[in-house]
Amino acid sequence: MKKILKVIAFLFIFCLLWCCTFKVLWLEKASISTIYDEPKKSLDIVYFGASNAFVHFNPVLAFDKYGFTTGMAASGDQPVTIAKYLVKDAEKYQDPKLYVIDLNQYTLELDHYSEADTRNAIDLMPFSLNRLQAIDEMFKYIEVTDHYDPSKKLIEENKKYNYIFSFLKYHNSWKNISKDIFVGDTKYYKGLYFSAGTVKQIPVEKCEWPDEKQALVPEVETIFMDLINLIKERNLNVLFVIPVKSYVDPMYGVPKRFNTLIDIIKANNLDVINFNDVDELSIDFDTDFYNNAHLNAFGATKYTLYFAKYLKEHYDLEDHRQDEKYSSWESEYERFKKNFKKYTDIDYDDLLKEYKEKYNLD
Amino acid sequence: MNLTSFVFLAFCFITLIIYFIVPKKIQWIILLLSSLVFLFYDNFSLFTVFQALLILLVSYFGGRLIEKYRDTKKETVILLCSIAIILGLLIYLKYSNLLIITYNHIITLLGMSKKVELVTRVSLIGISYYSLIMISYLIDIHRGACKAQKNILKCALFMYYFPILPSGPFVRYETMEKELYKKHKFDYDRMCSGLVRMCWGFFKILVISSRVGYFVDTVYGNMSKFKGFFAILAALFFPLQLYTNFSGSIDVIMGVSEILGINLPENFTGPFFSRTITEFWRNWHITLGAWLKDYIFYPLLKSNFMQKLNKVCKKKFGKNGKKIPLYLSMFVMWLAIGIWHGGAYTYIIGSGMIPFACIFFEDNLAPLAKKINKKLRIDEDGFWYHLYQSVRTYVLFSFAMIFFRASSIMQGLRLIKRMLVFNPWVLLDNKTLYTAGLDMRDFHVMILSVIVLFIVDYFSKKINVREKLFKQNIIVRWAAIYILLFSIIIFGCYGLGYDATSFIYQGF
Repeated sequence: MKKILKVIAFLFIFCLLWCCTFKVLWLEKASISTIYDEPKKSLDIVYFGASNAFVHFNPVLAFDKYGFTTGMAASGDQPVTIAKYLVKDAEKYQDPKLYVIDLNQYTLELDHYSEADTRNAIDLMPFSLNRLQAIDEMFKYIEVTDHYDPSKKLIEENKKYNYIFSFLKYHNSWKNISKDIFVGDTKYYKGLYFSAGTVKQIPVEKCEWPDEKQALVPEVETIFMDLINLIKERNLNVLFVIPVKSYVDPMYGVPKRFNTLIDIIKANNLDVINFNDVDELSIDFDTDFYNNAHLNAFGATKYTLYFAKYLKEHYDLEDHRQDEKYSSWESEYERFKKNFKKYTDIDYDDLLKEYKEKYNLD
Repeated sequence: MNLTSFVFLAFCFITLIIYFIVPKKIQWIILLLSSLVFLFYDNFSLFTVFQALLILLVSYFGGRLIEKYRDTKKETVILLCSIAIILGLLIYLKYSNLLIITYNHIITLLGMSKKVELVTRVSLIGISYYSLIMISYLIDIHRGACKAQKNILKCALFMYYFPILPSGPFVRYETMEKELYKKHKFDYDRMCSGLVRMCWGFFKILVISSRVGYFVDTVYGNMSKFKGFFAILAALFFPLQLYTNFSGSIDVIMGVSEILGINLPENFTGPFFSRTITEFWRNWHITLGAWLKDYIFYPLLKSNFMQKLNKVCKKKFGKNGKKIPLYLSMFVMWLAIGIWHGGAYTYIIGSGMIPFACIFFEDNLAPLAKKINKKLRIDEDGFWYHLYQSVRTYVLFSFAMIFFRASSIMQGLRLIKRMLVFNPWVLLDNKTLYTAGLDMRDFHVMILSVIVLFIVDYFSKKINVREKLFKQNIIVRWAAIYILLFSIIIFGCYGLGYDATSFIYQGF
């Protein structure tokens, strides 16, 4: 009996050390999912999707304006197969009032995902049956390609067990450990990642949104219908969004496929907003993008001001600003403002005032 | 089955559970079944089954018949025929290309053009080990050192016992008979000790050997870029890679065997602390050396031919003449060591001829060295002289291993030529040093882990380190084990971004 207890104690300490070790080793990974990091049931909205989600929407600004909390379940070029499983996890961990789902990836083919895309998505999720199913589904539809050469399939490197046991990949991260990851300034603000750089977009004129429709990739349609069925089955409150984009982005989804998606969403009595049709956003194609796929901090501010107001007006979202439990949202907003000033030399409050006066965005 | 794979760990786990659950009477059957799974896991075909069966049947029936016809002429005939069949199969499977290469060289020298193409033969894991083990089994029966096994399945277990298949050690039936078939109780302390030994083996393979291997492989694979001190470092690092890889896999399988309750003979005892090449080979691959001494060197030295030669040489050359049969027997033994290591001349030179030459000169220059030391008043028992001798032995071994590692003799000679470029500043220039397969952090981990290895090896020569560890209080004991475990998990070269670790001695 004494020996059995010894073995149990040994294994228990081993597991503890294991968790601590990999917590440190994974500090460097692209962790932008806040649904697992924030306290349980503390998020009012969860925003799903690819980089457009965490680059365009500023949760700390939205909190400062209206007091609701928004979590992110997003990662760069997030494979579409994972949304269903992230929704399930969001329901389990946060049970939000609203699920916002970015549609961009549903208009693309399935052969452009690199290992980083798949890992950034899968590795957000803690070890669970849901995660195993997400990996299984990903392998069913997606063939991971080399980041620099999409024609090269990474078959050997991407065996399922390498995803199931993430430590096979990340145990080597000890090389990246430095003082900065413990005491440095994180680049995320409750999920937001911002860039102050500006790249003028060509053509600067906004293109007309086409009326034609184009069929989705059959596998993508199956995946999307699975997501719709899950939403209906669980009676979730969902809002789909088509992100505002510069039309010269080669990775931007096919506009005609967005029209097909809008049809499917409407046919299922769900809501969708095409932000390319929303003139009130006042996006300036000369100054509001940091590359042809993403808004910079200025564009993201316009987007958030408009969208947060829309959310507050259309959904019953609680105001937590007076609640001490949510004080971290205020301090993160202050940190964001400080860093915004540091990188742009512009006072964020002054910018908000300017947008209010100039574009009536508040 | 790769020793550092999950499949191997799962295989051991399942085997151990079943082994200790089943009635003790049939434990050996479980061992036999798991050994068969291990044997055929990577190579299951009619041909490989034939190889395994042929050696088993020849050994089993050979052994029985030797006993039956004891002290008759038939006994010797049966023994020789059995050995010939086993050796014939081994030569056919492992040394065909060596024979073909030799034949082609001769053909070229004679100015003929009909060359023979090289062949690819599929052989089972461990065939070089169990072929020699079964030969020793037959010879031991012939010598009356042991009795022939009457149960063919028990004989099969002795031959296929899975821990010894990947990289030895060489075992004798006389000792294994007592271990393999007896009933084994589960023992908690033995399990802990075995697991720690396995972990130490994994540490050697995954943390040190693979890391050192990146450096060595990069230099050997790109000789036009890496020269001078890079080539010297690669030559000096390879013995470390070989030792940690080989002794690490031995530690893993010894650990498994220890948990099963079956003790295997040690194969290494701190070889890098040896002061002479002779001593080095007494501490390196001990069981192979012992096998060759017992079954080649001494029988040859005691043979009628050598005895006659001894007399002739004594007459002609006086006192020193008696050394000729000794060196001749040694030469044959070292040639056998070289050939056993693989079907290529690089092995014969690297692990056969150069070590033989070293021992020959060491032996003959020893009196002169003694005289010089006496004149220079060098304390031969002092620490610094011991250190000098150990470093000298290591360097000589490294030199021999240049050919062992090289893909051809020409490549080995090329590396030696590249070593002659004088560029010691590469050791001080971080940007250059870290371009040979290892970055700065990997280099630091490698150096630190090699220091740990040397410390443990040093103490292992004097005390049983694991026994000492288990006598410590629980905090020290567990802390040491956790450090070992997490060093493997964090710093081990496995998973994505790493090639599967190849086992240098598994190919033999």
